[in-house]
Amino acid sequence: MTDESTPTWEDVAHRYGRKIYNFAYRLTGNPDDAADLVQETLLRVRKGLSSYQPGSFEGWLWRITRNAFLDGIRRKKRRPESALPEGDHHSLGSSPSPDEVLSSIRLSDDVQSALLKLPYEFREAVVLCDVVGLSYDEIAEATDVPVGTVRSRIHRGRKLLRGMLTWPI
Amino acid sequence: MADLIFDPEEHGELFSAYLDGQLTPSEVAIVCELLDGSEEAIEEFRYLRSTRRALRLLPEFEVPAALLPDGHLGDRLSAYLDGELVSLEHRRVTKHLVDCADCRAELQELDRARIAVRSLPGVETTMTGEIPATPVPRRRRRIIAGAIGASAAAALLVGLAVGGGDEPVFVLDDLNARHVARASAEPGFAFLPSTIEVAAP
Ligand SMILES: [Zn+2]
Repeated sequence: MTDESTPTWEDVAHRYGRKIYNFAYRLTGNPDDAADLVQETLLRVRKGLSSYQPGSFEGWLWRITRNAFLDGIRRKKRRPESALPEGDHHSLGSSPSPDEVLSSIRLSDDVQSALLKLPYEFREAVVLCDVVGLSYDEIAEATDVPVGTVRSRIHRGRKLLRGMLTWPI
Repeated sequence: MADLIFDPEEHGELFSAYLDGQLTPSEVAIVCELLDGSEEAIEEFRYLRSTRRALRLLPEFEVPAALLPDGHLGDRLSAYLDGELVSLEHRRVTKHLVDCADCRAELQELDRARIAVRSLPGVETTMTGEIPATPVPRRRRRIIAGAIGASAAAALLVGLAVGGGDEPVFVLDDLNARHVARASAEPGFAFLPSTIEVAAP
C-alpha cells in the first residue's frame, strides 16, 4: 500500500462527494437525505480507509455508500414523506435558454418521480448505472449480487420507467 | 445461423446491456442480428435508448460545500515543512499554496513555530523523553495527526512560539528549498512534529 494507491478521506470527499450526493438525491428525491448520506458515508470512509485493501476502490466505496444509505432508510422509516425537490435545486450547467431550462426541469421532474415509483432494487441499479456511472461489475460488488442480476435489474428498471414517462421525451 | 425471432422478454435485456457496452462479442452479434431482422426490435431498442439517455441527462446537483472538508491543507502543512511529501502530493500542496493565502499564512506560522521550538535547548529529548530511534511509520503518523486534529497540533506548535518577532518576507520557493535542505541535513529535524503530535492529548 503506497500513498498513491490509497487516497486520503479528503481526496475521497472531493472526488466522490458530489456523486454520493446525487446518488442519494435520485434515490430519495430529497436534498436532506442526500446531505445526511454524504456525511454518514464520509464518516464511514474515514474510519474504514485504514483497513482498505487495494482492490476495486469504486466497489468498496459504493458498498459503504449503499449500506449507509440503507441504514439511514431503516432509521428514518417512520418519518413522513418529503415533497419532491423544487426546480431551483437543479444545477443545469452553462446558461441554457429559458425554454431549455423549463423543459429540462419538466423532464427531469418527470424522470425523478418515475424513478421514485420503481421498486428499490431496480431504482438502485439504474441510479448506480446511469447517474453514478458504475460498470455492471462495480454495481455487482457494491450491491452484493451476481452481475447477471445487475443486468436484469437495470433492464427491468428502465423498462418500467419507459412505461411511466410521457412520450415523446 | 437460424433466424432469430425477436422476443422483448427474452432479448430486451441484451439491448439494455448493449447500450451500456457490457456485452460479449457473441452477444453483440445477436443484438445486431435482431436489429436487422425486425421493426419491433428496432422500436424496442430506440425506446430503451431514449429512456437511458433521459436518465443520463438528469442534471447533476452540486453537493453543498458545507458537507465537504474545506480543501485547505491542514496537517499536510507540517509534512510539507518536513520535506516528507511524496512528489505528487508535494506538487499538489505547492499548487494550493500558490493559490491560497490562508494556507500560506498558516504555513508561515507553523514555520516560525518550529524554528522557535527547535531553538529551545534540549527540546527534542524533553518532549518524549528520548529521540526516536526510527521514524514513526508514515501511515500511523497520519492517523495520529488526523485523530487529534490539525488545529490542535498547530495550536500546540504556535503556543510554543512565544514572541514570534518581525514579520518575515514570505517566499514560497525559498521556504520550500530551505526546509527540504534542512530535513536532509539534520536527521532529527524530520522527527520533531510527530513526537509533538504523539505527546498531545
Ligand atoms: Zn488553503
